[in-house]
Amino acid sequence: MEDTILTLITFFPTIGVLLLLMVPKERHDSIKAVALIISFVTMLLSFMLWSMFDPMANGMQLEVNLPWIVSFGIHYHMGIDGISLVLIVMTTILSVLSILSSWRSITKGVKGFFISMLLLETGMLGVFCALDLFMFYVFWEVMLVPMYFLIGVWGGPRRIYAAIKFVLFTMFGSLLMLVAILYILFQYQAFSGEYSFDMIKLLSMPIPYREQLWLFGAFALAFAIKVPLWPFHTWLPDAHVEAPTAGSVILAGVLLKMGTYGFLRICLPMFPDATMTYLPYICVLSLIAIIYGALVAMVQKDVKSLVAFSSVSHMGFVMLGIFALNFQGLQGAVLQMINHGISTGALFLLVGMIYERRHTRMISEFGGLAKVMPFFAAVFMIITLSSIGLPLTNGFVGEFLILLGVFKANSLYGIIATSGVILSACYMLWMYQRVIFGKVTKPENEKLNDLSWREKLIMVPLVLLVFGIGIYPQPLLERIEPAVKQVLQHVSRAQTVRLDERYQIQKVVHQSENPTRAMSGLTQGDEACLR
Amino acid sequence: MQALEPGIVFWILAVVILVSGFLVVTLRNMFHCALCLILCLFAVAGIYVLLEAEFLAAAQVLIYVGAVAILIVFTVMLTSDLASESLIQHNENGTIAFVVCALFAIGVPYLIKNTGVWMPAKGELISDNVGSIGKYLMTDFMLPFELVSVLLLAALIGAIVLARKERS
Amino acid sequence: MEFQLPEYNLRMMLPEIFLFLWALVVFLFDLLSKRRSESAVGYLTLLGLLICGGLLATTGYGRGFGNMFFSEPMALFFKIIFLGSAFMAVGSSFGIIKQKIVNHRGEYFGLILLSTVGMMFLASSQELLSLWIGLELTTIPLFILAAFFKDDKLSVEAGIKYFVFGAFSSALLLYGFSFLYGMSGTTEIVAMKMNLAALFIANGSLGVVPLVAMVMIIAGLGFKLSLPPFHQWAPDVYEGSPTPIAAFLSVGSKAAGLVAFAKIFVNGLWAFWGAEMAPNDWGYLTGILACAAMIYGNVVAIRQTNIKRMLAYSSIAQAGYIMIGMVAVNEWGLEAVAFYVFAYLFANMGAFAIVAIVEDKTGSCQIGTYRGLSQSSPGLAACMAVFLLSLAGIPPLAGFLAKYKVFAAAISLAGQSQDYTWLYWLAGVGLLTTVFALYYYVNIIKQMYFSAEESPYRIKPNAPAVAVVAIGLIGVVLFGIYAEPILQFVKDIPAAAGVIPR
Repeated sequence: MEDTILTLITFFPTIGVLLLLMVPKERHDSIKAVALIISFVTMLLSFMLWSMFDPMANGMQLEVNLPWIVSFGIHYHMGIDGISLVLIVMTTILSVLSILSSWRSITKGVKGFFISMLLLETGMLGVFCALDLFMFYVFWEVMLVPMYFLIGVWGGPRRIYAAIKFVLFTMFGSLLMLVAILYILFQYQAFSGEYSFDMIKLLSMPIPYREQLWLFGAFALAFAIKVPLWPFHTWLPDAHVEAPTAGSVILAGVLLKMGTYGFLRICLPMFPDATMTYLPYICVLSLIAIIYGALVAMVQKDVKSLVAFSSVSHMGFVMLGIFALNFQGLQGAVLQMINHGISTGALFLLVGMIYERRHTRMISEFGGLAKVMPFFAAVFMIITLSSIGLPLTNGFVGEFLILLGVFKANSLYGIIATSGVILSACYMLWMYQRVIFGKVTKPENEKLNDLSWREKLIMVPLVLLVFGIGIYPQPLLERIEPAVKQVLQHVSRAQTVRLDERYQIQKVVHQSENPTRAMSGLTQGDEACLR
Repeated sequence: MQALEPGIVFWILAVVILVSGFLVVTLRNMFHCALCLILCLFAVAGIYVLLEAEFLAAAQVLIYVGAVAILIVFTVMLTSDLASESLIQHNENGTIAFVVCALFAIGVPYLIKNTGVWMPAKGELISDNVGSIGKYLMTDFMLPFELVSVLLLAALIGAIVLARKERS
Repeated sequence: MEFQLPEYNLRMMLPEIFLFLWALVVFLFDLLSKRRSESAVGYLTLLGLLICGGLLATTGYGRGFGNMFFSEPMALFFKIIFLGSAFMAVGSSFGIIKQKIVNHRGEYFGLILLSTVGMMFLASSQELLSLWIGLELTTIPLFILAAFFKDDKLSVEAGIKYFVFGAFSSALLLYGFSFLYGMSGTTEIVAMKMNLAALFIANGSLGVVPLVAMVMIIAGLGFKLSLPPFHQWAPDVYEGSPTPIAAFLSVGSKAAGLVAFAKIFVNGLWAFWGAEMAPNDWGYLTGILACAAMIYGNVVAIRQTNIKRMLAYSSIAQAGYIMIGMVAVNEWGLEAVAFYVFAYLFANMGAFAIVAIVEDKTGSCQIGTYRGLSQSSPGLAACMAVFLLSLAGIPPLAGFLAKYKVFAAAISLAGQSQDYTWLYWLAGVGLLTTVFALYYYVNIIKQMYFSAEESPYRIKPNAPAVAVVAIGLIGVVLFGIYAEPILQFVKDIPAAAGVIPR
């Protein structure tokens, strides 16, 4: 079980796809049932993974490493650390919920829809499990096609434009990544004499400063488009608004995390010196994303695009946390990735629910929903507060840790980022007030039904997670901790060098590198945390 | 074997080739064009004789003059209105074509003569070149020789397919 | 006069001889059955191709007819590709032989077989003359096949156009060969390599003549490979000719051109690659053409409304990608080319097979015809989507692995020396244009899937066409996920072709 669990989790949804192919396309109920059961079992498997994971151990766990394409040195190499673990669990949970949420809203092409959802799940899980750059790339691209179909076939009025924009943006980024991967491959071959894509092995290779800059740039562009970092975010509002609810949930909940995950897994550990060089620029872009996303969200008339822009803002926080490059910042960033998945996913689900009832998402069309849909209003409140980051909710823990890290790194950034928190409170609460409170102005809203048992079933786990993580985040944090330290340890290879000291010095450092020397590169605060 | 100095015969043949070639593409009567083509091809055969390539000369006369050119004459005669009609043989691309051809005609010989480095011929020129070509075709170059027959078969079948009148 | 007959070693060329004889059988069968057999001729042809494949598998490596016929890994691999493309073209022809070709079914299939024989001889030749005759034997049947719909103006135009361009390019090629022969005194490619090297050492330089020869040969083969600026015939010919023939042209004939290119340049003129021999450098020339092909093909394909024209431009672009591998002359390059063509075989033949199926039903090749196809014929639409995504290079399909290999070859060579850094730019252009390519491939998928109304056509393809699509699908998916056996096989190609000093 130890070495097959990851394979099982990743490809279990694919088994579901094969099953679905055999079900006749008219039998909607069976199709939905198969999809739900498959994703549910995948979720249970991921819980099993959680229990098998050793929170204290360092490095990768539950690894499997088999030769795949020998002539290129490509291996079927999977393994997880704490960061991947929590993301995998979140992915499987969100997949179940989004499949459940599509129960009614998808009427045409039901079979295709659920096939796409399950394929997408395989792609996402594969990215989080992959430890071989080639595999990582393959899974990364595999996600593209089902998402394209989800947006293009089951999306809103401008779905075709949004789908093609999504595909072209992402493809552009990932091709750059492919070049960088190939370049690394040949560098590694020159360094060690063998072809390998193994992410762990590649870490042992010193890369000259100038090349690091190029490679980091190529990877970072691919990831930044996915995050999306300002100014590469323009595909996101289109894709989010046009995608069907389930698509938006997965897009916001998981796909955006691919970008930040990529930074954590590849960019930071592999190119520490370039990380240091790019650091200020990325921080500034993140800050712009935070403020810009919040301001634009504030003026949105459509609830869904408001949530979409709030995603830009929140992901800016995550990026800032990562590039604070200290323990709290990184830990907060990983936690916030989960939180954003939960709260934004939940928001999209809620928006989808009222859209199913009213077929509009305009804020001005609503008002006074608290009276007609009290349960909905209550859940919406909780999720809104979680999104803002109120204490006791999950959002608070993540944002607090990020801000702590950022203040420690650079207090100016910290101050600007804090204003983002305030702005987010403004636009979320204002939206909430206009939608939920006040008098029922529109006659259509008077007869709306409150949430059905199915919808409650979707929302309750999310609400529980919001409070669960908000009150007792320890299980998550302790699993993230070793992985985050690992990342910091890799980055610290560069921190021993001042920014203005370039390639020559760095070479010396790499030659004389040993673990203790690397550890000493940590800041004092980090060492305190390590103890 | 005398040195390959261009003698008077060469110049006469060259002028014939050029003039008749020029007439082929300028004359307005298709039939006259075909006749000029025959003359041109004959003169080329003459050049081959000068170069002591008797087989090539014979093949040139047999194939180009004997078969291809006659075929062209037939085509011209059998196609209604083509034999008597005057046709304008050039279009607006004439000048460009002329320039390209002229450059090619001057440039390639220049390159060959001045910058080329060529493999020196081994030994004497073989006197019995018809015999040795035959020998090569039966030994070293047997496979391409046989392949040509397959090629001809394909061309034959193709010609029949394209030319046959269909019963509906 | 002494006669020294070469050792025939006919066993080596058993598949070719068999296929030629089988073509005669096909001609005769059609005649003897008084042209009444509808699909029987087709099945007979398929059977012949299968048997030929079996014979090919049992033929080992070796040589025949002195130095005229070589059976080595590259030849063997490309012969598989030729047979595969012929098989798939024949398989997708069953619709048109029922509807359009009534009188010449035997000739139709027989000529396809003869063309395949030509390709196979070409792949085994190691000498300019037989190579050229192989190439002619490949193309002459194709001229006729392109014009096979005699009542259709477009088809006749396609035939004439292809004939004129083809004849012109063959002449150019031959002229180029004559220069090489003049310089080296031999037509054998390996001996030519030796002689040219000896001449270079003796004289210190070879002047500009090799460049003239190379330009002519590249132009001549450029026509066959439809590399800009020698591509003009391709869209019209693809549009006008019967769809299976267009498919055969785009894969089989292109692969034949690639073999010829590989033999002449990568094998024969390898030394003329790189800076020492400047200006006699075919690498730059080919690189520029590859660049032009990728940019032009991909950009123009976006604007097409006829799917055959679109696939024509896409195949121009694909030739560009393949040429990247050709230019990257190291241990990765030639095997990348071979694998690319292999993956391209399944995806492109599959896509054309579906075009043929749709055309049989609807009589149209407009992209608009595909609107809403996912609802009326979901299986067909899904297969088409897979083929197009493979052509676009989306993992985990075979097309991705192929693109990956080509770019890997270019980047690895670029990293080896300062002289080759321009290959980075080539790979960069390739990657960038891939995004364009994705746009128009995805556009077809958009038509099939994103349209609200259902397509009025319910398409029930015939059995051989289904088999072709299935072969394509299996090839694209299987060799995308597990290509190890093929990759191991193509690994032998560069060394066996004498490209890489072992």
